[in-house]
Amino acid sequence: MIKDKMKNMNEEEKRRYRLERLYKILPVISIFLLILLWSTVAAKSDFPSPKETCDRLMLLFENPIKGKNIFGHTAESLIRISIALLFNWTFGIAFGILIGWNKKAKALFTPLFNGFRAVPPLAWIPLITIWFGTGEFSKIMIVIFGSLASVVVNTQAGMLNVDQLYIDVGTSFNANERQKLFQIAIPSALDAIFAGIRTSTSAAWMVVLAAEMLGSESGVGFLIVRGMDAMDMPLVLAAMIVIGLVGALLAIITQYLERLMCPWTRVESN
Amino acid sequence: MSKAKGEYKVEVKNLTKYFGDLHVLDDISFNIKEGEFICVVGPTGCGKTTFLNLLTKIYEPTKGNLFIDGEPADPKKHNLSFVFQEPSSFPWLTVEENLRFGLEIKNVDKAEIDERVESIISLLGLERFRNSYPHQLSTSMAQRIIIGRAFVTDPDLLLMDEPYGQMDVKLRFYLEDEVIRLWQELGSTVVFITHNTEEAVYLAEKILILTNKPATIKEEVIVDLPRPRDVTSPEFVEIRKYVTDQIKWW
Repeated sequence: MIKDKMKNMNEEEKRRYRLERLYKILPVISIFLLILLWSTVAAKSDFPSPKETCDRLMLLFENPIKGKNIFGHTAESLIRISIALLFNWTFGIAFGILIGWNKKAKALFTPLFNGFRAVPPLAWIPLITIWFGTGEFSKIMIVIFGSLASVVVNTQAGMLNVDQLYIDVGTSFNANERQKLFQIAIPSALDAIFAGIRTSTSAAWMVVLAAEMLGSESGVGFLIVRGMDAMDMPLVLAAMIVIGLVGALLAIITQYLERLMCPWTRVESN
Repeated sequence: MSKAKGEYKVEVKNLTKYFGDLHVLDDISFNIKEGEFICVVGPTGCGKTTFLNLLTKIYEPTKGNLFIDGEPADPKKHNLSFVFQEPSSFPWLTVEENLRFGLEIKNVDKAEIDERVESIISLLGLERFRNSYPHQLSTSMAQRIIIGRAFVTDPDLLLMDEPYGQMDVKLRFYLEDEVIRLWQELGSTVVFITHNTEEAVYLAEKILILTNKPATIKEEVIVDLPRPRDVTSPEFVEIRKYVTDQIKWW
């Protein structure tokens, strides 16, 4: 069949066709190679093999840890980041718009915000634990602190880079300040705001693990700690793989969301 | 003032502008009749853009004033519209939304917006592209959106700052015809700035020739050739040559 397809192509088209096929195959090859390497290493050491890891994952369905299988724990983590992200997107975007649009607000808040941003979220853990204990609220707080900055920074950058020409068009139609903000500046910064939404999502997914590794009863981070404490390495690996898959899935979802919300950034191929 | 009201749509009186010590515009006075198409030509850097920015009231004049229907021009009261030199359609809005933009900013009644936008879409032949985004269109198509967006607000005064400066000759001819068509159809009052004398003679009913800095009006040239104008006709060439000489000779 491939032969049929290639019959009517000239050399250049054939070359491109082969290359495109190669680009589709290469990612599969790299995953295959990783599993091969993993199996080889595992066969010659105590390192758990892919099969053991997979079995351990399945065992979680029969023998849930703290009453939850892998889906339950993933859901717990996702709920935590959802609450934190909802807060960050609401207040982070609003704050980013404020310090990107209003020069006085920018001068007032920038030094404080830069200081806050420079402190790694994990450094807040002792303070948060002392103030709020080790409950659910503290974990969400840590995630909020860990993913707020990227929303604010991207939103602010988007608002600072609004093309003056667009503002002038507004002026020429005698738009007032409110119209310029809501109908010109914010829409034109929307793709930057979405960049913030994407980075904050991946940051939140990373920070939630750290939060869960410090005294938690559920979540994927908890599974890793549990595996470590029990020297159950297949469990650690299984959790790691799930974390990676969910992280990739979140990236795809936010990207899809951006295309849905900002259709003009889609590059048409005709 | 009441006498002038019926006669002229726009009156520019003794318009003078200094930026610090720099004397940019010197005592410019002229009148524009309702529905007139005026081209402003002048040597590069003579203050054409300053002149335009004074008309839009982006800058305040040092001396003199601009009157529309006999009243001092006020962007809040009068409907001024501006076509920028650079492509300025909003990338986040579709063609139709771009055309609606100015009217929505001015809080025009929705039924009225629908009607006016429909008629401009059909005038520009943009039916097929109404839901496209500007980046999906060619440069000339995107420029037509901007021009449509300016005409659709039915401005008291429409100012165009070298909108075709970047275009190649063929496209320019095409878009110039389009502007003439819109102007004839909608009866807008237009001030069109250009450094291209051929363009000025092709479009204008009256050409204002500016001098070098400090700019003042050197001459008003009436162009009463029938439309559509033929750029190769002897009359056209003669006027064009005359205007060019006026710009070159000091």
